[in-house]
Amino acid sequence: MIPIRKFWGNSLILAFPLFILSSCSTSPEKITPEKYVPKTLRVEISQMKFQPATITVHQGDTVEWINKDMVVHDVTQVPNSTWTSSSLAPGKSWKMVVAESDDYYCSIHVVMVGKLIVQKP
Amino acid sequence: MKMLKTLTTWAAASMALILTQTLPGFAQQTAKLGDDEIASVAVVANKNDIGFARIAEKKSKNADILQFAKTMASDHQSVIDQAVALVTKLKVTPKDNAVSKKMTADAKKTEKMLNSKSGAAFNKAYIDNEVVYHKAVISAVETVLIPQTRNAELKSLLQAVVPTLKAHLEHAEMLQSKFTK
Repeated sequence: MIPIRKFWGNSLILAFPLFILSSCSTSPEKITPEKYVPKTLRVEISQMKFQPATITVHQGDTVEWINKDMVVHDVTQVPNSTWTSSSLAPGKSWKMVVAESDDYYCSIHVVMVGKLIVQKP
Repeated sequence: MKMLKTLTTWAAASMALILTQTLPGFAQQTAKLGDDEIASVAVVANKNDIGFARIAEKKSKNADILQFAKTMASDHQSVIDQAVALVTKLKVTPKDNAVSKKMTADAKKTEKMLNSKSGAAFNKAYIDNEVVYHKAVISAVETVLIPQTRNAELKSLLQAVVPTLKAHLEHAEMLQSKFTK
């Protein structure tokens, strides 16, 4: 026969660590990391250059290229042309949601090159 | 083959000599160009390269040359359009002068030389000429036209053209190295 006081005492001793453990466990519903809000970043095409030539973004960010030169340009992925803006007349712009790091160039002026770097969270 | 190489090298060297005598050499003369004459020189310089591009589009079957020629025709036409729009706004009428006349005459000789060639020899002659021509025009714009231009907007337009000419030169040199291999 365990005395009542001793029973409750033992139970509390056992329950306390369980309580601590349960309160320490992290469930995704309880603690959510701050949600990233995608941004739009701009690359200017001027003086026959992509400026900046290398841009670091988060996955899901949008990059907008604006042609401020006096000639037509484009923005085309290299080496397989998996995406392209097609021709961008002076003053025109084109935007794309960035999924992965890529190199790109202007297929009209092949000496113009740029780079997208996706920063992993 | 060796003779062909010698001929194309001679043609490029001659072109360089003609242009550097025509344009950069003008900087050493005491006579100055007026803005109306500078506008004429700028338009003629662009027209000449469009003329060379049109010949390439007719004569070449090489994809790199055709793409380059298409870019030259399009870019130089854009520059002419902007120059014409500006001088119209400024009420300046481009005026023929000794430099623009000599440039037109020299371009005719170059066109004749290009038209006399075919196949690989044409491709090499065309791209060699593009390298020489762009070097001469960049030098002329930087050392003669920009310093002598009085109107700020015309000066600004000429300054804005320089990076385009330099990108063309870099592109032409890249292709030239392919055709020299």
